[in-house]
Amino acid sequence: MKYSPIDILLGTLKTCLLLIFLEIFTTAFLPSIGIDNFKPAFSVLIVLFLAFKFEHPFLPFLILITQYVHAIFSIEGWAIGTLAGVLISLSLRYLKDLLDFSTAISTIIVVQIFQLVWFVVISVMLSIKLGTFASFFSIFWKYVPESFVLSILSPLFFILLNKFWKVGSDNSASGVSI
Amino acid sequence: MVLPLKNFAVDSSRWKLVSNIIVLIIALWGVSKHQYSINKVSVFESFLIEAFAPIQRGTLSVKEKISYMVDHYVLIVNTSKVNEELKAEVEKLQGKIFTMSEVEKENERLKQLLDFGKEIPRKKVLAQIVSFDSSNEFKVLRINKGEKHGLKLLSPVITMTGLVGYVYRLTPNYADILTILDQNNRVDAIVTRTRSHGIVEGSSGFRAQLKHMNRTEKIEIEDEVITAGLGTIYPKGIKVGKISKIDKENYGITQDVEITPAVNFHKLEEVVVLLEEIEISKDDSKKESEKKVLK
Repeated sequence: MKYSPIDILLGTLKTCLLLIFLEIFTTAFLPSIGIDNFKPAFSVLIVLFLAFKFEHPFLPFLILITQYVHAIFSIEGWAIGTLAGVLISLSLRYLKDLLDFSTAISTIIVVQIFQLVWFVVISVMLSIKLGTFASFFSIFWKYVPESFVLSILSPLFFILLNKFWKVGSDNSASGVSI
Repeated sequence: MVLPLKNFAVDSSRWKLVSNIIVLIIALWGVSKHQYSINKVSVFESFLIEAFAPIQRGTLSVKEKISYMVDHYVLIVNTSKVNEELKAEVEKLQGKIFTMSEVEKENERLKQLLDFGKEIPRKKVLAQIVSFDSSNEFKVLRINKGEKHGLKLLSPVITMTGLVGYVYRLTPNYADILTILDQNNRVDAIVTRTRSHGIVEGSSGFRAQLKHMNRTEKIEIEDEVITAGLGTIYPKGIKVGKISKIDKENYGITQDVEITPAVNFHKLEEVVVLLEEIEISKDDSKKESEKKVLK
């Protein structure tokens, strides 16, 4: 699919607004109802969607923007997530033909696998920054429970994001169908 | 004439490669520059935090209002028509009583907070928790006071029960607190009973570790841990927590000590930020002592 600058601008705006809504939900609403240990990383889901389906030279900058928005709500910062996102998007260039998003189950499995890859990259980077690999597994395992929930939610999210980015509106790219 | 933007939109692998390299370089620079112990925000970041923090704060009140609507209006639809108005009135009054009692409790808490730490010769700013960090890995709180209220980076944050952390990131009206549960926060601490010295660091969950504790130190479970006041951030004598687990291996020169923080982070609503030391009182006491000497 070919995107005009207006399409990209509108898609970016809608995606950022969705992310802001989800970050506020995670940082303010969930703790207010007593859920303060469950923080699904919606930014990861959005970046994975873009890496899977948005084939455009602007993709790395879009990942950077998404992570920058995420950094407003977390001291994790934008840099590590951007690095992970760009590395995954680069690896996907060689794996795209193997990925299947035709059913909800296949979408869930693919998203789960790439979330695990994401968290390995993040855990490695955080361990390097902290100067010790002693807490590598503890950092990694903290992400895993939320990742299952995100994977289950991913087909629904992808339907919404497909609309934002007009994926599946032509024959060149297929959206998620449940 | 073909616009450059149109060219950009073409799916060109050359552009993809260039943009990937640019963003990777930016990201690597960002990783190397990012600090997890202190963070000075840019004007743009400050603007974004200032813009979204009120929404985060508002989310709580919206949730309370929805709960109130559901509890007090929606659920009484099926009650008898005769008593409808009366019951609604009673519900309203109960709601008001509930709100009043909540306000009373809040006032009591705030009063206790303000009374707490009178012996600490510092200016204090009372703040409310607005939100929590969106990543599970970092234990950070956002409060509704910032630079305009006198807060500075590295200002210590406490409650009446103990130490919370310090100001990590600051905007004009909001601040992020790096709590003692975060592994990037390190607190010089001593065990009150034995005066043994160690460093408190965040660990997994809602607990912290007391590191570098010599294995010959005869510490016990339930021993109280307070700040040592050796660093530049925390004043001496603030409760950090109690020792909840001690592991001594057959080897090594230290022991593994786990502490349960004095502050219940699950129920944290208000905090006190300690600002610079009050100079006036010191000067006054100095002048008074000088006068006494002269007499």
